[in-house]
Amino acid sequence: MKNTRYFLIGLSILCICLIGITSLKGSLLNPLRNAVGYVLVPVQSGVNAVGGSIYKEVSSMKKLKSALAENEQLKARVDELTEENTRLRAEQLELERLRDLYELDTQYMQYNKVGARIIAKESGSWFSVFRIDKGADDGIRENMNVIAGGGLVGIVTDVGANYATVRSIIDDSSQVSAMAQQSCDTCIVSGDLKLFNEGRLRLGYMEKDDDIKDGDMIVTSNISGKFLPGILIGYATGITVDYSDNLTKSGYVIPVAQFDRLQEVLVITDLKDAGPDWNE
Amino acid sequence: MRGLIGMNSSLKQIIINLCLIILAYTVQTCVFPLMPFLSVYPNLMLILIFSFGFIRGSNSGIWYGLVAGILMDLSSGGPLGFHTLFFIWMGYINGICTKYYYEDYITLPLVLSALNELAYNFYLYVFSFLIRGRTGFGYYLMNIIIPETVFTVVTTLVVYRLFLFISRKLEEMEKRRDTTIV
Repeated sequence: MKNTRYFLIGLSILCICLIGITSLKGSLLNPLRNAVGYVLVPVQSGVNAVGGSIYKEVSSMKKLKSALAENEQLKARVDELTEENTRLRAEQLELERLRDLYELDTQYMQYNKVGARIIAKESGSWFSVFRIDKGADDGIRENMNVIAGGGLVGIVTDVGANYATVRSIIDDSSQVSAMAQQSCDTCIVSGDLKLFNEGRLRLGYMEKDDDIKDGDMIVTSNISGKFLPGILIGYATGITVDYSDNLTKSGYVIPVAQFDRLQEVLVITDLKDAGPDWNE
Repeated sequence: MRGLIGMNSSLKQIIINLCLIILAYTVQTCVFPLMPFLSVYPNLMLILIFSFGFIRGSNSGIWYGLVAGILMDLSSGGPLGFHTLFFIWMGYINGICTKYYYEDYITLPLVLSALNELAYNFYLYVFSFLIRGRTGFGYYLMNIIIPETVFTVVTTLVVYRLFLFISRKLEEMEKRRDTTIV
C-alpha cells in the first residue's frame, strides 16, 4: 500500500512537470503524438467507415418517404430557379466585365483545397476539436484554414503524419480576426460554448461608428495572421452599442457552416503569409 | 498489490487491458459522435477507469488511469499530463473503495460513477474555462455537467456488469497460471 502511494505521488509530480513543460512548448510532443496516431488513426478510420455506412443505410430508409413528398415541392422549385438562374447568369456576365475593369481578377476563393473526412471528435462536450484523416503526408500543415459548406470551420492546430487536429471556430477558446464584407471594418469573431448552443458566435471589438449592421456578411479579415482573407464566416445579427462605454459595439454571428453535422471538410493548402512573426 | 503483479507478469493480460482501453476510446470518439440523437454522450473512458479501479484495487486503477490518460492527452492536443493527472488519482481513490466491493452490488458503483463524472467535469471547467475568465458555472452545470452525468450513470448500469465479467475472466486466467506454476 505504501509503494502504491509513492508511485501515485511520483506520477503526479511527473504529470505536473509535464503539463508545465508541454504547455510552454507543445512541439516536444509531436513524435509521441505521431506514434499514437499510427496506431489509432487506422482504427478510427475503420470504425468511422463502418459506423457511417450503417447509419447511412438506416437513415436512407427513413428519408425515402419524405423524399417523395419533397420531390413534388422541388419540381416546382426547379422551375422557379431556372428562371432565376437565367437572370443571374446575365448578371454574372456583367460582374465579370466589371471585375476585369477593376482588375479584381485575383479575387479570393481561388485557393487550393484538399478534401478530408472527420474521423473523431474530442470526447465530451467541453471542446469543439476534431480530427481529420489527412496529415503531413498529404501536405497538411499547421495553421491551414478549414472550410465546409461555404463557410469557415476552423484551423489546423496540430499535424501528425496521417492525421491533423482542427480547432473549430465555435470552440470556446477560438478567436478569428474578421471584417464586414461591405465596409471592411474589422472585428473579432470568438467562439463561446454558451452561445453556440443557441447557434451563434460572438462578434466584438467594433467601434461605435463602424458600418456593420444586422445581416452583413462577416468574412475573415486581411489583417489576420493565420486566416486567409475573404473566407465567409457567417452573418451578423443583434448588433448593439455597448452600454458600458458607449464607444464600442458588439453582437453575434450566425455561422454558415453546419457544425452539428460535419462529416467532410476542405482544407485550404495555401498558408497565410503574414511576414515574420507578429502577434495579433 | 496483486493487480500490479498480475499486470506486469502476464503479457496477455496487458494486451487484453490495452485493447479494452483502445476500444473504449474508439467508441467514445468515433461511434458516439456519429449518433445524431445524442447531444451529450457518456464518458466511457471514465467508467472504464473507475470500474477497474473499484473492482481490482488502487494499483490497477492507477495503471488504467495512466494509460487512458496518456491516450487522451496525446489525442486531444492539449498539454501532456492534464487528463493523466486526474485519471491516476481517480483510479487510486476508487481503488480505496474496493474495501466495500461485493460482486453483484450495483448501487455503490452508480454513486461512484456520478461522483467521478461530477469531479471530472468540475476539473475540466476550472482548469480550462474558469482559468480563462468564463464564469457562470450554473449554465455549464445545467447544460453540460448534469446531462453528461446522467448519461454516464445510465451507461454505467449497463457497462459495469460487462466490465465485471471481463475482470472475473482475467482473474481466472491469473489463478490458472498461478496453479500451473506451483
